[in-house]
Amino acid sequence: MDKDIIKLAHGSGGKEMNELIKKLGFSYRGRWQNFDDDSATFEIGKKHEQLVFTTDTFTVTPIFFPGGNIGHIAFSGTVNDLLMMGAKPLGLSLGIVIEEGFPKEELQEIIGTIKAISEKTKIPIVTGDTKVMEKGKLDKIIINTSGIGIAKRLLAEKPIPGDKIIISGGIGEHAIALLSKRFNYETTLITDSKPLVEEINSVKCMIKVAKDPTRGGIAAILNDISEKHNVGILIEEEKIPMKEEVKNVSEMLGIDPYELACEGRFVCIASKENAGIVEKKLKQFNKDAGIVGEITDDNKVILQTILGKRILSMPSGRIVPRIC
Amino acid sequence: MDEKIILNRYIGKIKSDAKKLGRIVTIMEICGGHTNTIMKYGIRDLLPKNIRLISGPGCPVCVTTQFDIDCMIEIAKNVPVATYGDMMKVPGSNSSLEDAKANGAKIFEVYSAEEVLELKKNNPSVVFFGIGFETTAPMTAFLLKKKICVYSAHKLVPPALTALLDGDVRIDGFIEPGHVSTIIGTKPYHKIKIPQVVAGFTAERILRAVSILVELIAENKDIVINGYPEAVKEEGNTNAQRMLNEYFKVVDSGWRGLGIIPKSGLEVKDGNLNAKIKYKNIIKEVPPPKKTACRCGEVLKGLIEPAECPLYKKACTPEDPKGACMVSAEGSCAIAYKYGR
Repeated sequence: MDKDIIKLAHGSGGKEMNELIKKLGFSYRGRWQNFDDDSATFEIGKKHEQLVFTTDTFTVTPIFFPGGNIGHIAFSGTVNDLLMMGAKPLGLSLGIVIEEGFPKEELQEIIGTIKAISEKTKIPIVTGDTKVMEKGKLDKIIINTSGIGIAKRLLAEKPIPGDKIIISGGIGEHAIALLSKRFNYETTLITDSKPLVEEINSVKCMIKVAKDPTRGGIAAILNDISEKHNVGILIEEEKIPMKEEVKNVSEMLGIDPYELACEGRFVCIASKENAGIVEKKLKQFNKDAGIVGEITDDNKVILQTILGKRILSMPSGRIVPRIC
Repeated sequence: MDEKIILNRYIGKIKSDAKKLGRIVTIMEICGGHTNTIMKYGIRDLLPKNIRLISGPGCPVCVTTQFDIDCMIEIAKNVPVATYGDMMKVPGSNSSLEDAKANGAKIFEVYSAEEVLELKKNNPSVVFFGIGFETTAPMTAFLLKKKICVYSAHKLVPPALTALLDGDVRIDGFIEPGHVSTIIGTKPYHKIKIPQVVAGFTAERILRAVSILVELIAENKDIVINGYPEAVKEEGNTNAQRMLNEYFKVVDSGWRGLGIIPKSGLEVKDGNLNAKIKYKNIIKEVPPPKKTACRCGEVLKGLIEPAECPLYKKACTPEDPKGACMVSAEGSCAIAYKYGR
């Protein structure tokens, strides 16, 4: 079989992508650290502050979806990656590649979205670039955003057994809203995409680690946390917040809701002492927020179902609905 | 919490009924959707030792032969092809449709008839690769009605059940597929002389089906129970059946692992819309499939567990599948892999 070409699975945020990145093997890192995390970090000044830097490229079909457009996720995605490290975002760059023939009106709407969130969050777009490519050379539009921020304390503390895992709201809503256009079903769900500035700020001093479950969903980030910190995780399935509609559509399509992307949720870890307050604070923003599990001393991610325990594995391949 | 009590009640009932059997009984769940629920909840581990659940051939892409995939890859090199996303990664003899696509072949993933009709506007010669059982075949029939050229690898479930009963595994009861049964109804199962329960896809539905089957087996009652009455009617979906009769003829068909099963496939009636006839010159050049170490065939017949295949988790993984059962979310090997079994 032909293994020397890039396939779609390499961009799905699961195993294939991780292996590809490992294989590319950038070895020179200078003084940068945490390059395998949401953002890389660089210690500056005498107060051990950290410069935090991240980049992300966004392609999505369709570019307009229930509750938002590619602009929402391009801005929020990068801001959230900075926030997950504990940083205060300082500014973003915006690179846009557009297909010839793209309607100006749609571009204006996307840019308008980005401007509105930028003004609301007081995080400026400080530099940018625009390119246009010949019709047919790309699918409508690709957006890249990079961001820098400053962190006084990085959210990179090793969790210990007994620490609690908290989710900031219901999972899978973004993906189910987006997939409704692809698979022709009606849904009342809208994207959950949002910058998590206020949510993170309200709990930042009480949490050890935070991660946003974008591609690969909570299955991917829980496995990431387990691998990076060499700890086990036990999640109680019944406690995972999930709207009935997400549950039903996932069941109908035969896809795993734990692998579905969110664009405005995060999972964080807090000591047992702090977990209750973190949960309470996060409930002020989203009533579905709650403690869903804890850190254990093995190295597996385990889901406690209503009948027994099972492994929650790292997603692999693309999300493909069942056909039977 | 209520659900937990109900589930435990079923398990308790199965345990006490199983004691009366005095032997090991084997129940096969036909559908990959059932296998998924069984693995997800670890249902096999919760059952008494003398109740064995084995997985059957009910995964649409898994039973598609390597030869059909090789043919489609060759056709795709010449004309645009549309098929389900699940099909893309299934290995043929040398490559998959996904490889062919990455190398430049025009292959489109679709999930509805409308998408194929839309594709036809810019790709008038598009060929639809129709795979799956009675569930997906009606959509293909609709495409034939709309004059879309089709390569049919569609299969029928009841003849496979009969073939399985004549095979090497002693099967005491079937959990019949929920979705297939919405189309064919429960009537075709009455010809098969073994206890059968049509089931939905929740843990509760499956445990209930097992519980009923254990009772039927104990009492030697070869009857069919409809355990999914909210979706399945005795006569099935007669409109869909009519469409199938109008556009397809029933033929002998090759199943991966099971070989040729008499009258178990659907072939396009109209020669002008039948890709196997239209592109016979391309198909003629496709060599017979190579033999591999993959034991998908035995997995599909319930003869071995995925872990008993020498390639499982070693050479064969979801990222680089060697056999079809490792590809689909309905394939036994992919399911076992995902749930760490």
